Formats: sequence, structure tokens, C-alpha cells
Amino acid sequence: MRILFILILLFPLSKLHAQAANVLLNKVVAKMMSVKDYSANADVTADIPMIKILPSKAKIYFKQKDKFKVEAKGIVILPKQGFTDVNSFISNSKNYQAILGDTTVVNSAKSVLTTVIPNGESSEIILAKLWIDYTRNVVMKTQITTKSNGTVTTTYTYGDKVSYGLPSKMVFEIDVKKFKLPKSVAADINNTDNKSKKDTRKKGTITVSLSNYSVNQGLSDALFVK
Amino acid sequence: MLLKNTYNEFVKILSKPRSYLGVGALTLLIGIIIFAMKVDGKSIISFLTSSFEQTLTFNGHVLNGNLIAFIILQMLIVHVPLLVALVTGDLISGEAAMGTIRMLATKPISRTQIVLSKFIAGALYTLFLTFWLGILALGVSRMIFGTGDLIVLNSDGLVILQDADILWRYGAGFAVAYLSLLTVSSLSICLSAFAENSIGPIVATMAIIILFTIIGTLDVTVFDSVKPFLFTTHMAAWRSFFEDPVSFDNIRESIVILLAHNVVFVALSVFAFNRKDITS
Repeated sequence: MRILFILILLFPLSKLHAQAANVLLNKVVAKMMSVKDYSANADVTADIPMIKILPSKAKIYFKQKDKFKVEAKGIVILPKQGFTDVNSFISNSKNYQAILGDTTVVNSAKSVLTTVIPNGESSEIILAKLWIDYTRNVVMKTQITTKSNGTVTTTYTYGDKVSYGLPSKMVFEIDVKKFKLPKSVAADINNTDNKSKKDTRKKGTITVSLSNYSVNQGLSDALFVK
Repeated sequence: MLLKNTYNEFVKILSKPRSYLGVGALTLLIGIIIFAMKVDGKSIISFLTSSFEQTLTFNGHVLNGNLIAFIILQMLIVHVPLLVALVTGDLISGEAAMGTIRMLATKPISRTQIVLSKFIAGALYTLFLTFWLGILALGVSRMIFGTGDLIVLNSDGLVILQDADILWRYGAGFAVAYLSLLTVSSLSICLSAFAENSIGPIVATMAIIILFTIIGTLDVTVFDSVKPFLFTTHMAAWRSFFEDPVSFDNIRESIVILLAHNVVFVALSVFAFNRKDITS
């Protein structure tokens, strides 16, 4: 009876908590939605086990709702998730339940942890944790767990485009446990002496520094046609 | 006299239809590969990046001439030795089979110089074949697919080399690949010095390459001490130029071993040809 009483008391409290989370997320989404499109220069540095690549430059284009394009002279490695999927996921509040958590400091900004759980089983995202700077209404850090890609943690730094919620730097920490080479390549006959040198790290990072933003310039849909 | 005889030997090589077989086969093979890449090159990229694709995306001009050239070299490095041996394996034994060896020996030139001129002529043919391979694989591919960064998949993972940092690697890679093919040429001429017919040295050369390659691939400890001395182990040394950082020590070792093989094969051929009974 006592337990039932506590539960009855707690239920509206948790609902209130969820509502607060939704209000915060709505503010973040509203800021994101103020950007119809943008283009920016990106400097990409990847430090990923089993991949050797020098820093590279690219130009990225985005248009609501989820159009995204990378233009580069050379080869640029980017994480598969992190640029558009979180935005699209949280933009529809019917898709998820959100709960507020502890307040911590991320990149010198007081941020509240918002845990987002999808409603249906069809969503690729299993769990999303967002650390939101509640004074500026921007996402400071995300930790997204998906069905197929493992967990990707992204930390955001903001510069002059903070009013649009556009970061000046993103650091992605990705899971590399799943990387396996084709057997025919792994059995390289010329490679006999470097077993000890193999990189055994399980995490890799990709740092994307963004500059020269052009926001709401009216990018054409044709730009995103492959 | 050596130079004159080398010229004569090279003219002999050019006059044989089989010499053009190699050039024709290379042209056809590379043409087919380039066509296949143009039609379905994305599947090759998918093979290179498949294990990373769940987490990462590879953006930019991935399917470019540099990648196609690398794929062509990887594919053809197994077959080009056959094309070389087809011509060079015939250089001494062909003369014996046709009966022209006696006439050759009557020239005012030593037997050692005859063998050396055949080696030089064989080396020139091999150089031409390597050069042709380079023009088609790199030149034509870059013309059709354009240039760009190169993705190389090796046992340590993916290495992505910047466009500006690639041409010297190809230059050095082709030079080492030439040395490998020159070893095949020397081996077949060496075997040719012991044979009386044309086909024997050609088949024997390929048999040796296949045998050594299998020994090199077998992960059996008993062969571990032998593997570093097999010339086939070092035939893929050109690939080391596409690592980052380049393992110059390994390349140097491969060059020394390949050169040593060449010296041994030439010495053996000179020895065998000087003692060869050409009267019967």
C-alpha cells in the first residue's frame, strides 16, 4: 500500500520531469530549425585505429530536413552519424520520451543531461544522451547508441554562430571494435614482422573544425543530387 | 661487339610474334579492367571500405586513376612474369632448337658476351613491358578517371595517401617492379641456357614462381627461414612504397635479394653456356 502511494506520488513528478525535458529539447530544435540551410568549410582530422590519413579539407552543405553533402578534392573521412540524424530524431517529439538528468559542465558550459528513448522499435537510434547548455539552448555533447553503428560520442564547441546552434568544432569519438579486414588482405604475405606494432585501440576520434559559415543563403535542392 | 650483338638480339626479339603477344595481352587486360571499373567501380570501393562503412563515410573522389592503377598493378603482377618468360625463356634454347646456336658461336664474340647480350636484350624488353604497363595503368587510368587521393588496403588497415604524394611512389614502385620482372627474365634465360627446346624454360620459370609463391604463402614455420631468400617474396616489394611510413629498410633488403638473384642467374647462365656442347 505504501509502495503504491509512493508510486502515485512519483508519477506526476516524472511526467513533470519529462515535460521539462521536452520543453528544453523544443528550444534546441527551434534553434536548429532557424537554420534552413548552411554551407561551411571543414578541416577534418581523423585519428582512427587501422586508418592512416592526413588532415583534409572539405566543404559541407546542409539543407533542412536532412539533406547533407560533402565536397572535397581529396578523400575525407566523416562519421556516418552525427551531422543530421540527431537533429531529425529530436525534431519530432512524438518519436521519443525524454528525461532530464544531472547537471554537469561540458566545455565550460553548464549542461543538463537529457536522455532520449525512442518510442518504437523501428528507430535506428536505441538511446540518445544529450548534454544541453540550457542558457544558450545548444547541444554540448551527445552520446548516440544505434543498432548497427555502436556508440558515437560527439562534443561540440561553439563560436560566432552559436545563435544558430551551429558549432565551430565537433569531436566525434567512434567505436572501432567492429573494424575487420577482408581475410585475403589480412593474410598479406609480405607482412611478417609488424604484429607487435598493430594498433589495438578500440576508440577513434574525428575532429571537424568548421569555419566560413554561410547560413540561410537558399541552397538549391539540385546541389544535393548525387 | 657486345652492344652490336645486343642490338641484334633485340631485333631478334622484335621479329618474333610472341614478343607482341605480351604487349597485346597487357593492353587487352588493362582495357578490360578499366572498362569494368568504369561500369562497376563502386563495388571495388565497397570492398576496400566495407568493414568501416557501418561507422564511417568516405567522401570525395575515391574512384580515381591512382586507385585504378594500383588495382591493375595488384592484379597483373601475377601475370606479367608469364609474359616476360614467354619471350626471355626462348632466348638461348630457341637458338639451340632452331640450330642457329652454332652460327652464333662462330661470330667473333665470346660466349660470355653472347649470354650477356641476350640478358641485356631481355632486360630491355622487360623494361619496355614495364613502361607499357605504367603508361596504360597509370597514364590512361588518370586520363579517364582523373586524379585524387589513393586508398590502399593492407594488413594494418587503410592508408590514404594524398594526390601530391603519389607519383613518386609509383615511379619508385615501377622501378622495383621492374627489378622483380628482371629477376624473372634472368631466371628464364638461365633455365634457357640449360635447355634445348623453347617451351621447357618458359614452363619451368612459371612452375618455380608458382612453387615459391605457395611456399611463401604457407603459414608453416618450417619454411620461415627460407621465405626471406625466395625472390617471389620480394616481388611485391613495390607495394611497400604505398605504406605510410614507407619501410625503406624492407625495400632495400628486397632490392639486395633481387639483385643477388640476378647476379647468380647471370653467372650460372654464363657458366652453363660456356660449357654447353653445341656441336651435337
